[in-house]
Amino acid sequence: MSNLTITGSQSTPAISGDWEAGVLTMAGDSYPENSFDLFNQVIDWVERFLAETRRPLSLELHLLYLNTSSVRAIMDVFDLLEDAHGRGHPVAVNWHYDRRNERVAELAEEFKEDCSFPFAILAHD
Amino acid sequence: MDSIDLFAMRESFTRDRIMLCFNGPISRSLIEEIGNALRNYLQAEQVQPSAAMDVFGAYIEMTQNIRHYASAQGYAEHEATATVIVANKEDGRHVVSAGNVVEIADGHSLLERINALARQDKAQLKASYKEQLRKPREAGASSGSGLGLIDIARKASEPLSASLREIDAGRAFFSLSAVI
Repeated sequence: MSNLTITGSQSTPAISGDWEAGVLTMAGDSYPENSFDLFNQVIDWVERFLAETRRPLSLELHLLYLNTSSVRAIMDVFDLLEDAHGRGHPVAVNWHYDRRNERVAELAEEFKEDCSFPFAILAHD
Repeated sequence: MDSIDLFAMRESFTRDRIMLCFNGPISRSLIEEIGNALRNYLQAEQVQPSAAMDVFGAYIEMTQNIRHYASAQGYAEHEATATVIVANKEDGRHVVSAGNVVEIADGHSLLERINALARQDKAQLKASYKEQLRKPREAGASSGSGLGLIDIARKASEPLSASLREIDAGRAFFSLSAVI
């Protein structure tokens, strides 16, 4: 249908949504002053995907530092996935992190606590 | 006017182990640029990535809180001024401090919130954080709305300290400091 492409910057992650593959990737730091200016596009894309297809959606996250405003926005995305999961729509999150930075794993772990869909936190060397 | 005594300032910065300081109008891009410098300094000090992220995070939340406050008050861009200092301690920890001019009433409610957070242990802070995260966002609010202070308190290794100094009728200088 339509792909989502947002170029990353120093303070915003690179984001790409592949509609055919059902994969949304986000990578980098996220600390814009107004995170909803950025993440509203992501939220819209995810909402549309979940409403218009029955295909699985997986999030491949390589996110690092998130300011609290980004944390809120990401939580909104996960809430959409949680609702979809409740309706039987297959969704999953894979959060990849560098083993040298435990803080990223802790951040992912706190999100995971509130999610019942498949949520993997994967260490890389 | 006497010329500025740079040497005395340098002595004072050195004595207080100040890595980075800033005073003046703070724009979105300045926050990023100073943040970059901070990250480079921390990397040069060979601070662990997770600790460096905590120091950087405290700096970002403090300065963005100041920007959000200024915009909520309707201050013009050049009126969004901040005083920011990052220092290192001999034990390897860092102190992130930031201050700004606020309405006195706002300053007092900030002090109350920070004192309340200072009484919470890490588990209570986590519960407060999750509770705040789940609160509905105010219409039009684009910030983390109140999450920032709790986030800083969670990253800190000592209770946050804050103070308020009256400037003139109605206004005061609020300062917040976190040991990370």
